[in-house]
Amino acid sequence: MKQNLIPEQRVLEEVTKAIAEGIDIHPAIIKPESSLMKDLGAESLDFLDINYRLEQSFGIKMARRSVLDHMEELFGEESAIDSDGKLTGKAAEVLSMRYDGAGLQIQAGMDMDELPSMVTVSSIVEVVMNLLDTLPDKCVNCGAGNWSLQEETRIQCGSCNEAASFTSGDDLTQDWLKQIQESK
Amino acid sequence: MQQKEKRVVVTGYGMITPIGKDSRQTFENAKNGVSGISLLSSFETEGLPCRIGGQVDDSGLNDFTAKGLQGIEKCSSRGLKLMISAVSEAAESAGLDSIQNRNRIGVSLGYHGENPSVEDLVLLHRYGGAGVWDVSGLTKTGVYSFFNFFRRKPDVATSILSILFNCKGSSFTIVSACAAGSQAIGEALGIIREGRADAMIAGGSESNLNFMGFVGFVLIRALSERYSSPEKASRPFDRKRNGFVMSEGAGALVLESLDHALERKAPIFAEVLGYGSSADAFRITDIHPKGDGAVFAMQRAIADAGLTASDIEYINAHGTSTLQNDQIETLAINRVLGERAKDVPVSSNKSMMGHTIAAAGAIEAGLTIMGMNNGIVLPTINHEFPDPKCDLDYVPNHARKLEHGIALSNSFGFGGQNACLCFGKFRQ
Repeated sequence: MKQNLIPEQRVLEEVTKAIAEGIDIHPAIIKPESSLMKDLGAESLDFLDINYRLEQSFGIKMARRSVLDHMEELFGEESAIDSDGKLTGKAAEVLSMRYDGAGLQIQAGMDMDELPSMVTVSSIVEVVMNLLDTLPDKCVNCGAGNWSLQEETRIQCGSCNEAASFTSGDDLTQDWLKQIQESK
Repeated sequence: MQQKEKRVVVTGYGMITPIGKDSRQTFENAKNGVSGISLLSSFETEGLPCRIGGQVDDSGLNDFTAKGLQGIEKCSSRGLKLMISAVSEAAESAGLDSIQNRNRIGVSLGYHGENPSVEDLVLLHRYGGAGVWDVSGLTKTGVYSFFNFFRRKPDVATSILSILFNCKGSSFTIVSACAAGSQAIGEALGIIREGRADAMIAGGSESNLNFMGFVGFVLIRALSERYSSPEKASRPFDRKRNGFVMSEGAGALVLESLDHALERKAPIFAEVLGYGSSADAFRITDIHPKGDGAVFAMQRAIADAGLTASDIEYINAHGTSTLQNDQIETLAINRVLGERAKDVPVSSNKSMMGHTIAAAGAIEAGLTIMGMNNGIVLPTINHEFPDPKCDLDYVPNHARKLEHGIALSNSFGFGGQNACLCFGKFRQ
C-alpha cells in the first residue's frame, strides 16, 4: 500500500531547495519542467550533490545506477541501448512508465547523449516520491504501525523514534523491472 | 640578439608498470596485448563497487638496504619508490652518472604525494577527541611517525630524487592529475631549450591503490564498475566502456640538449619536438563538450614542433575508458587532423595498464618513443564493440608493424588540464 505522509508539493519544495543550493542559483528560476542541464546549467557533479542533499533531507537512498544500467543487467546486453548508442523501444517504454508524471518526451531511437538533459525537476520529484512510497507498514525496530513526521521531511516511528527504512533506489528499480518482466 | 632555442633529445627512459618491471618488459607485454589489471590485493576492497586495479609487482622495486639508503626509505612514499626504479633505469641508459657538471641537471616530477591511511586518521583522532590536540601523548606513544609528513608531500619526493641522483639544477613537482606526467616533461623541455639546464630527469609517478586514494573516484563514479573479468574492464573507445581502471606506476625520461648529448656521445632515442598545454576553463569534471582544451593542446604541440597536422603519423591517446573522455578525445582528434583523422592510428596503452594518473603521460611517452624506434604501433585491447561516436583507427587488439617518425602523446586531466607532447625519431 502506498503511504503518503509527505505531500508532493512538499517534496517539490525540498527538491527545489536541493537544486538551488546544489547549483547555487535562485529558487525562483527553478520550474517543475526545468531541465537541470539545459535550463539550470547543472554539470554531472551537481547531480551527485543534489542526490546527496535529498538523501539527507528525506532519509532515503537514491539509486547509484541508472534505470538503463539495471535494464541491461536484467534483460541482457543491448536491451536498453543498441549498438548505435540509441535508446531501444523497450527502454523508451520503461522510462516513459517510470517517469509518467513528469511529462518527459522519451522516444525510441534517441541518442543516449540526450538523456542527461531530459532530467527535470519533476522527474526528480517523481523519483523521490517513488522512494517515499516504499514506507513499510510497520517499524522494523518495534513493529508499531504509527509513523510520525519530523521537520516536515523525516518520517520516524511514533513509538520508538526509529527512522523509517525505505527501499534503496537501486533495489526499487530492480524490483520494479522484475515486475515488468513477469507481467509480460 | 636572441639566442636560438636549443634542440632537446631523449637520452634515457625507464618505467615500472602493472605489466612490467622495466620499459623493455612493459613494451613486450603491451605489444602482445597483455592486461595488467586484476582483483586488488593492496587493500581490502570488499563492499566497494569497483575492486580491481593495476598493481606493480614489488619485485621490480629497488632495494634500499643494499645501497645504504635506509634513512631515505623512511621518508619515501610508495610512489617515490616506484619513481626511483623508473629513474634508475632511465639514468643508466643515459649514462647520467658520467656528466660532470651536476649544477646543470634538474628534476621535474609529476606527483601527488601519498594519501594518509584510514588507520593513521583513526589514530590521530584519538589524540584530538576532546577538542584539544594531545601532541605530547602522540609523540610519547611513538605509533605515529613524523616520517608520514614527508611521504604526504609531493615536493619531498622530488627533492629526494635530486639527492639520490645528485642533480643540483632546478627541482620541482607538478600537480595536475592525469596531465602531470606529460606536463613535467613539457616544462622540462622549456628549461633545456632556454639553456637553463643541460639535462633534466622528467616524468611522473602514482600509487593510489588504497582506500583513501580510491574512495573519491568511487564516489564520483569515475571507475569501471561493470566488467566480465578484471582484464576486460579497461576498454578505451569500446562501446561497452564504463569508467577507468586505477593503476600505479612510474615513468621517467632523461631529456638533454642535443649539443650536450652529442658532445658526450650519449645515446639518442628521440627528439622532443613540441609541447602544448591548455586548460578547458570549463567545469570541474565535465570535459568541454567540443574538446576545445584538448584541441588547443594538440594544436599548440604541433605548432611548437614547427609542424602541421598533416605530419602526424601516430597518436598515443589519453584514452581512459570513460564514456566522456574517449568520445570527446575522438572529436578533438577529428578536429585537429581533419580529413586525415581516420588514416592516423590512435591507440591507448591504458587498455592494458589501466590509468596510472600522474605517471600515465611519462610511461606513455616512453612507450611512444619505443614504438617509433621499433616500427610498431601498440594496440588498444578489449576493443570488441565499435562505438559509432568513436570512429578512428584505434589499432584494435593487435599491435601493428608501422614505420613512423612523428607522434603525439595526449594527457588530459580531470578539471580540464591538458597536455600534449610531440616526439620525433631523431634525425641529425
